[in-house]
Amino acid sequence: MRTKKLISILVLVLILSFAYFSYKTALSNFTLSDKNNSYLGGIKFHRSAAGLEESFQIAQQENKPVLMYFWAIWCQYCARFQTDTLGNPQVKKILEEDYVLVAMDLDIDRDVAQQYGVSYPPYLVIMDPKGNIKERVPGAVDADYLLPIVTKIRDDVRRK
Amino acid sequence: MIPLGDILLYASLAVSVIALVGLLLKDLKNIEVLNQFVTPAILLVAGFLTFSYLLLTYYFVTGNFAYDYVWQYSSADLPLVYKLSGTWAGQPGTYLLWVWVVFLSAAWLALSTKHNSMLARRTQIITLITGIYLIILTLVQTPFKLIIERPEVVDLIAKGTLTTDFVPLEGNGLNALLVNFWMIVHPPFMFIGYATMTIPFAAAIVYLLTKEDGWEELGRQWTRFTWLILGMGIAVGGVWAYLVLGWGGFWAWDPVETASFIPWLTLTGFMHATALYRKDKKTFSIAAPILAAVSFILVLYAAIVVRSGLFNSVHAFGDASTGTLLIIFIVVTFIVSLVLGLRRYFEEPDKVEEDRGFWNKTNVFYVTLLLFVVLAFISFWGISFPAFIQLTQGLKVGVASDTKNFFNIWSYPFTIILLLALGFCLNYNETKKEEQKKTLFIVIGLSIITMFLRTENFYVLDHTSPFWVREPTLYKLIGNVSVISIFPSMIYATWSIIQRLTGYLQIKSIRPKIKGIGIAIVHFGALFILFGAIISSNFTHTMQTVNIPLSSKGELEDIGNGYGIKLIDFSTRSLADNANIPEGVARISEIFSNPDNYFTNGVKISGKVANISIVQSAPGTYTTYILMDDGTESLWVAAQANEPLNYREGMELTIDGFLMTNFKSNSTGTTFPLILFSTPEQITQGTASAGKYQVQSVQLEIYQDNKKIGSGIAEYLNSESGSGTFPLVDSSITGTDVYVIFQGLGGGTVPLSLKIIPAVNFAWIGIVLFAIGIILIMAVKSRPKNE
Repeated sequence: MRTKKLISILVLVLILSFAYFSYKTALSNFTLSDKNNSYLGGIKFHRSAAGLEESFQIAQQENKPVLMYFWAIWCQYCARFQTDTLGNPQVKKILEEDYVLVAMDLDIDRDVAQQYGVSYPPYLVIMDPKGNIKERVPGAVDADYLLPIVTKIRDDVRRK
Repeated sequence: MIPLGDILLYASLAVSVIALVGLLLKDLKNIEVLNQFVTPAILLVAGFLTFSYLLLTYYFVTGNFAYDYVWQYSSADLPLVYKLSGTWAGQPGTYLLWVWVVFLSAAWLALSTKHNSMLARRTQIITLITGIYLIILTLVQTPFKLIIERPEVVDLIAKGTLTTDFVPLEGNGLNALLVNFWMIVHPPFMFIGYATMTIPFAAAIVYLLTKEDGWEELGRQWTRFTWLILGMGIAVGGVWAYLVLGWGGFWAWDPVETASFIPWLTLTGFMHATALYRKDKKTFSIAAPILAAVSFILVLYAAIVVRSGLFNSVHAFGDASTGTLLIIFIVVTFIVSLVLGLRRYFEEPDKVEEDRGFWNKTNVFYVTLLLFVVLAFISFWGISFPAFIQLTQGLKVGVASDTKNFFNIWSYPFTIILLLALGFCLNYNETKKEEQKKTLFIVIGLSIITMFLRTENFYVLDHTSPFWVREPTLYKLIGNVSVISIFPSMIYATWSIIQRLTGYLQIKSIRPKIKGIGIAIVHFGALFILFGAIISSNFTHTMQTVNIPLSSKGELEDIGNGYGIKLIDFSTRSLADNANIPEGVARISEIFSNPDNYFTNGVKISGKVANISIVQSAPGTYTTYILMDDGTESLWVAAQANEPLNYREGMELTIDGFLMTNFKSNSTGTTFPLILFSTPEQITQGTASAGKYQVQSVQLEIYQDNKKIGSGIAEYLNSESGSGTFPLVDSSITGTDVYVIFQGLGGGTVPLSLKIIPAVNFAWIGIVLFAIGIILIMAVKSRPKNE
């Protein structure tokens, strides 16, 4: 009986210290409140549903296509997609200069996601300034795949 | 007017309250007036609920979109099986399924025990309370809500746009991710498992309350069944995740899958506790019922996690929730179990027995139970505290820089200890104890030594992962442990199971023999799953995504590292039940046989692009020739525009135009006996008959060093409500899977990513062994009491 009690107490202490440690670690190391766009490949995006209207205004004024990026902090595919695809120098240049960018957090902007038929991250929806969908890019594609698409749509929009 | 389904639910509520009152009167005041009604009442409720579930199914099959739930999760063009599985696609339907099965088990309890013992009666009382609460939950979020009660529809009716007898013509449709075979089996397994947990829980609570003997026997088969079906539900979920892109393999520690895994772990602990409790009622007399209660509480918790939207999960299929009611249920159950458990604990006389030291079977078993609890807690904590922080502080946090890292590093050491305990316990022999202890110590030593072995890339955490650098020191420390350290304990456990199995095989008596074989098989299953999971997640070889142009069909594309992919064919189809050609669209064969009928008016055809060629007929003018095939015949279509039209072979088009005979093209000199002239505006994508669900499929062959290693079809399902990816999975006899994800056609190229996944078959075999083993154990009924 005494042995069992001893084991129980030991395990309880173990569990509690594990809980405390992981809780503290998460708070100090892994806070994800993403103020500096670190989850978005270091590119500046308009954020969330609130930024959507503004984005289309800018897009129409400057005649630029709109690229909507659906992401989530827990999305493991997004991490590589952000660094390698969005972060690719050529892609990044085109996106920053010639596109109006909006990022949608799938945890927050669920209505927008549903509206555009997006059910998992990463997912890009590229639209002309009027909001007509030009291309859907589901999944973590690589830069070689994305670059011709964003180039073509940019040129199409400019030509009109 | 109240819908029939709701009337049935209200009737169930009323009748089950009568049954409950009848039982309570008998139990508390010994008044027997309602006694004769109890069993019929319970059977009646079971009947009502069966009827209402069938009714819901009927609404789905017939596409009765007057009901909001049917409208939300179905549409007319879904194949029949998906109309059926739509009934459990959303929360209201799953509640109904849950409560239905709870009352089916209540009916079983009523019929098999006739309520003639205190235990049976009281267990029935707890079961009924649970059931009644679930009926209320179902009523709050009833699947029989009418579409005219939807807020936006109410608005439109108020404005006069719609009338109160509004019925939509078409449903919203099922989420594309849910349109596959696994959706048909996974949710019912889970919810049936949740429901069948009720009787073991109720019996355990009764035991804690009144110390009624026989509670374990009463719930035994139910426990095993729950363990089986919940386990299979989780496994099927894993297979589903494996076969659908974006969910990170078969197990990604997603909050929802983890949440359902937690009660399964504690349930496993419970079954181990009862193994000893059964032989000696003093052993684990508190731990066992508490574990049963905890498992039930965790089932409720899983139900919250699944659809609350509080947890960041890929299972984000929407749904507002009855979360508060579930939370109240959890809190009450928790307090009741805790108070009762504590009371039992302090009542229990402190047995003054000789201290047999640490090394005896009970203690090692106790460690085993605690290990299951610890593993359950790690999972519970990992999914819960980020949600807690978000609720209380409004901050989003991750558990580690990569979610799975957290669960992997913490679970790993305890898994090794669990394997060691398995090896020790399963082959425990009081007389050979010293010898066995020696073996155990050697294995422990080997496990520790192998932790430090330097390997290429076989660590608890992947060092090449971009996340590695960001982990805190302690996580890196555990992450640095070589996974070779799993093998000593695994081999030890295997050896122990074999020893035990040979022991069982020598038994003459048939029942214990079969049961023993069952136990051995289940434990083998556990080893197989662990082996498959560890090897496959450590040695998966992932190639960068490649884009193969449709034009290079039939050619072998080198994708690096000696691998190559050959695109054999590309095709599209719609998932509709009826591929009939609709009104207004002419069959091409019909046009050819009676062209005269079609000259006077315009003609509409619909089909697939079989061939395409573009000719510049004048400066700035292009004629696109499209050969359309609708399955009956093929017909050339010509359309002029100031740029070439961007259509490709295999595309589905619907084209309006006028017919011409013997047309001679000036630029090419070809003569067409029959041709359809059209304009870009008259061409629309998709067939006229196509439903909401379009499937693109590519047929592929995969080569390594110019040797074919796999082939098959990868598919991409697109619909208005999202898209789903169904990879090519080609398993080989050696257990290595060739896995290709196709992300849907874009810009004329086929994006493909190739993975080579070893040993994953072991995990599937393990799951099958689990099922076989537990079914063998269930098949051997427990001995009658008086034996």
